[in-house]
Amino acid sequence: MSTNTTSLEQFYYDNKIVRNFSLATILWGVIGMLVGVIIATQLFAPSWNLTQYGTFGRLRPLHTNAVIFAFVGNAIFAGVYYSLQRLLKARMYSDYLSNFHFWGWQLIIVGAAVTLPLGITTSHEYAELEWPFDIAITLVWVAFGINMFGTIFKRRERHLYVAIWFYIATFITVAVLHLTNSVQLPISLFKSYYVYAGVQDALIQWWYGHNAVAFFLTTPFLGMMYYFLPKMANRPVYSYRLSILHFWALIFIYIWAGPHHLLYSSLPDWAQSLGVVFSIMLIAPSWGGMINGLLTLRGAWDQVRENTILKFMVVGITSYGMATFEGPMLSLKNINAIAHFTDWIVAHVHVGALGWNGFLTFAMLYWLFPRIFQTLIYSEKLVKTHFWIGTIGIAFYAIPMYISGFTQGMMWKQFTAEGTLQYGNFLDTTLQLLPMHMMRAFGGTLYLTGAILMAYNLFKTMSKGTLLANEKAEAAPLAIIEEKQHGDEHWHHWIEKRPIQLLVASLVMILIGSLVELVPTFMVKSNVPTIESVKPYTSLELEGRDIYIREGCVSCHSQLVRPFRSETERYGEFSKSGEFVYDHPFLWGSKRTGPDLHREGGKYPDSWHYHHMREPSSMSPGSIMPNYAWLLDQSLNTSQTQDKLAAMKKLGVPYSTQEVSNAVKDLTTQAKAIQANLAAEKIKVSEDKEIIALIAYLQRLGTDISKK
Amino acid sequence: MFKQFISNIPGADNFMIFSLLTFFTFFVLVGIYLIWMDKNHLAEMEQMPLNEENNKPENSK
Repeated sequence: MSTNTTSLEQFYYDNKIVRNFSLATILWGVIGMLVGVIIATQLFAPSWNLTQYGTFGRLRPLHTNAVIFAFVGNAIFAGVYYSLQRLLKARMYSDYLSNFHFWGWQLIIVGAAVTLPLGITTSHEYAELEWPFDIAITLVWVAFGINMFGTIFKRRERHLYVAIWFYIATFITVAVLHLTNSVQLPISLFKSYYVYAGVQDALIQWWYGHNAVAFFLTTPFLGMMYYFLPKMANRPVYSYRLSILHFWALIFIYIWAGPHHLLYSSLPDWAQSLGVVFSIMLIAPSWGGMINGLLTLRGAWDQVRENTILKFMVVGITSYGMATFEGPMLSLKNINAIAHFTDWIVAHVHVGALGWNGFLTFAMLYWLFPRIFQTLIYSEKLVKTHFWIGTIGIAFYAIPMYISGFTQGMMWKQFTAEGTLQYGNFLDTTLQLLPMHMMRAFGGTLYLTGAILMAYNLFKTMSKGTLLANEKAEAAPLAIIEEKQHGDEHWHHWIEKRPIQLLVASLVMILIGSLVELVPTFMVKSNVPTIESVKPYTSLELEGRDIYIREGCVSCHSQLVRPFRSETERYGEFSKSGEFVYDHPFLWGSKRTGPDLHREGGKYPDSWHYHHMREPSSMSPGSIMPNYAWLLDQSLNTSQTQDKLAAMKKLGVPYSTQEVSNAVKDLTTQAKAIQANLAAEKIKVSEDKEIIALIAYLQRLGTDISKK
Repeated sequence: MFKQFISNIPGADNFMIFSLLTFFTFFVLVGIYLIWMDKNHLAEMEQMPLNEENNKPENSK
């Protein structure tokens, strides 16, 4: 593509926006990882649950949101804004949109950091933020899209490099996922109910959750790998053909795999099977990406020995390979039966997060800073230290978690020769894992220390250099390139220069899988058989359920008894899809740090729950559950109770008009009955306390199917 | 179970066959596209990230 100098246009790359997103990546990364270490510590030292705003249940979503959307999110934007401009030979379309994107995203993160500890949450994992934030995210995401496509349209490079395909697929799929998973009916500024209920809500959530991993944590990073790795190693990607093949295969197949999060659940069997089949197929494109990455370094391993940035890349890409091999294995039903709800999943996720996302981000930042600040890195030694401390941190994190997950999964299933559960007390299995949890916290601390070293090193690099805010570049305008190349057109270059068609093709790919899975679950009644005796929650129980949601109980307690003898022995009858039809949202959970609660109703007297919530270890010595003493003192806010019932009615829960208008009156009557039960056990508490509502909810859980 | 699901929606079998065919056709097309891809064009595409002059500082090792 030779062009003579007279036709060249001069323009400037915007490095300031890249710097801003990079700094935000570092800041939120350190904060998100710090919260991670805190919640890891809470799992063996319950005294670390400080005040009601700092319990595990409320901080866990803060950790996940901070590392996914703040740390990884900002890293994606830094990488995309840097590489997109250069691959398209154009400055970003609009500086205003770039800044709107940056500040909008940071404000949403600050909003999350405030509202999540306050207990304002939708309870959908990785989508906990309430509806006003969902709207804000949509606006910012659209701004990002306009900015990206605006840049693509004014590009000076005819063909779109494969990295940009990954960015386009990321943009469109995240938009579809976010919009579908955020359909809520607002009750007030910070409270809403999902339109979907029970099984359908679960399917939507895990279709979203799984594909958030795919299209937020994977595809943009693959795009970044295809741009930055060749630059770092100074050699082209191993196979451009393979990159195209695995792009299409990945975006097509990934979208189907969501139901593997719901194996043995009440989701219809066919949907579970579909999820497994596609999960297995997913190995091929995932490994296609990994192999392409690692083989790019073929013949350049001497560089890896010398170059710490490449070392970060190698560990990162290898972690991606490990996590994407393990994912399909975990989706096999027999392995899933042991691993699901245990620390195994936590290990799996963190190999991806710490290894793939973390290490690729670190490599990119170490590579970017000297370039945009026109200087050398402050300390090579610190980069090396970071690499080793981070790698050892990952090992200390992942290995104990694998052991812990396997141990717990097996203990739950262990029967004695007489046919009773060997570890009938759930707590026995929890206590067994404490040493592993301590080691995990140590591993996390090492990893965090590495990130802090990086922050220091990059800060020093930044202060000794000067930001090249607008980097001069020149290229021929697209019209001239088109003219010169006219005549040597190949039909197969067609899509590479048509961003809109590429966007539409990506959209069609992801919609096929989504529709095949989602539509029948919503449309076909027989997929969720109704159960006559299952009735809506009373107003008090509904308020109790909202406290359960606020406190993030779902972070540690599932509400889904799987159809295994080991589970029906321990908890009772396995869960049926028809039992969840009024659950807006579903609360199945994904991890059992404590026991399942779906059959909790009627298991213990009201007084047991009262004492247990005040101080769990008084009822279960050694329990690692935090105290919830404030529930005994705080009065239940009933100002919205009627609105909540009215909203549920609107969503199809069969409340009568009378039940809605008498919501508060009925609530008080039921509360007084519980108060009387407690009084009989010599517990003095007024009927308007939050604990009463929570007890009402817990006592109702899973009892409907046994009613005659 | 899968049979039961299919028999429960009218036209579901067509729906499934359509999906399978789309899937299959698409990958055959991508396959052909890749086999026929012009080598010079591939080489040109591969070089895109390397076509910049800004690979300056080189201490990061």
